[in-house]
Amino acid sequence: MLHRRIFQFLLIYLLALGLLFLFKYSLNLSDYVIPGPLEVWHTATLVFNRYLFDGLNTLSVAIVGHLLAIILATLVAIIGRQASLAGSMIKTAAYNLQAYPIVAVAPVIFILLGDGLASRLLIAALICYFPLLLSFIGILTEPVTDIEHFYVTTGRMRWQLEVKIRAFENTAKLATVIAGSATLAMVGTIVAEFIGADAGIGYSLRIALYQSNIAKVLVALFLIGIFNSLYLTCLEFFGYLVQKKLKISTGETR
Amino acid sequence: MESTQPMYFDCRNISYHYPKSNIEIFKDLNCALSGPGFHGLFGPSGVGKSTLARIMAGEIKAAAGEISGEPFPKVLYSSNMERLPGWSSVGDHVAKVIPPKRIGRMEHLLSDFGLASCRKSRFSQLSLGQKNRINLIRYLLQDFDLLIMDESLANVDEAMRELIILKIKEMFPEKYFLYISHSVAEVSRFCDTILVLRTPHKTPQVVTVTGLNFQSGDSLNRSDLERTMLEIVHAA
Repeated sequence: MLHRRIFQFLLIYLLALGLLFLFKYSLNLSDYVIPGPLEVWHTATLVFNRYLFDGLNTLSVAIVGHLLAIILATLVAIIGRQASLAGSMIKTAAYNLQAYPIVAVAPVIFILLGDGLASRLLIAALICYFPLLLSFIGILTEPVTDIEHFYVTTGRMRWQLEVKIRAFENTAKLATVIAGSATLAMVGTIVAEFIGADAGIGYSLRIALYQSNIAKVLVALFLIGIFNSLYLTCLEFFGYLVQKKLKISTGETR
Repeated sequence: MESTQPMYFDCRNISYHYPKSNIEIFKDLNCALSGPGFHGLFGPSGVGKSTLARIMAGEIKAAAGEISGEPFPKVLYSSNMERLPGWSSVGDHVAKVIPPKRIGRMEHLLSDFGLASCRKSRFSQLSLGQKNRINLIRYLLQDFDLLIMDESLANVDEAMRELIILKIKEMFPEKYFLYISHSVAEVSRFCDTILVLRTPHKTPQVVTVTGLNFQSGDSLNRSDLERTMLEIVHAA
């Protein structure tokens, strides 16, 4: 699973790099605009260790932000799934708020919370939160009538049981949505760092941009891709383990 | 102590049309179950048997009419479309959703319905017939006055179906059952009264036919069975 993702990423990265060099040499662009392969390699040896830790920093913030978003989306979806006034309000708010780009309000967050960890976490969480919320609400709102009927008709249905049934029946969907939103968490963190934070790979990208140093940007992009692939693979593997365990427990593998 | 059983169950002037449709599938429909026992609901496919059953169970609200009983019965509707959750074995699930005092009865039913060996299996591991039987068991062990069995014994072989119906009649003589089936022979033989549901343009929409109400140990009179079957077929 991991080697496949890394291989896919390397293929795309090298293809893009090749196209960039092709562009450079076919248009005879100077090394200042697009550095040559040797300069990129030289820069990589110089900044790799620092960028590696920056990337790890970004990844850790993205993971925590992603977790926060999952917890928050679960809680809100549990309330939002109800056909009550509160449920309808939450659903309406979720649909309308997601239309507003979080990146646009990022400066407000930085002004209010400063350029530290809290702002990066909040932006990362908010960017992956709405897609999660919409999916969770969709899953938790949809009745599993053939299972729920018995509990409803015998008066045994409780909200915890309802959530359990619907989540259990949609485990594969939930795993896909969570893995899919991981990239958004990474994007959110990098965007936050790029806009106003003082740490992480996004911050390094901003510095590289100010220096007009494409070689550094390419190294940063390489590490972002590697870390993103790693995180996605971990989530997919975890989802695979959960589903495998459920399939064994439900007897589907017999 | 068990509560007093309803003396009758009555549906009067029931009218109903499906949501977003103006076509009435029931118009001033009347039917009654005069006393506890194993009753049948028979009719051609698509005539509205399940809908009528769900109206009786209070799961669907009729556009007009009333359902009454004295005292008003607790009605449960079970069907062959139901599933048990997959996170526990069927034995554990049933034990968890019935009153603890009925665990002994559950063991008997599992054994009598040929499911003793399936206790530790997950629902998805069972055959269709086993799934329907385990679903029926969990309903039989609830508190109810009338249990509607909507094709609850579908995919169960004929011998086992007979055994189950006779067992139900023997174990729950004070309860009402409404058995929905497409087998005219089965309802004729085992049911006390058979409500034959007909298309809306026929009046009355429900014709009540007296069945043979076959009990364990009875001998079957073939000519009576044929006469009842003909009566049902003509009524439908």
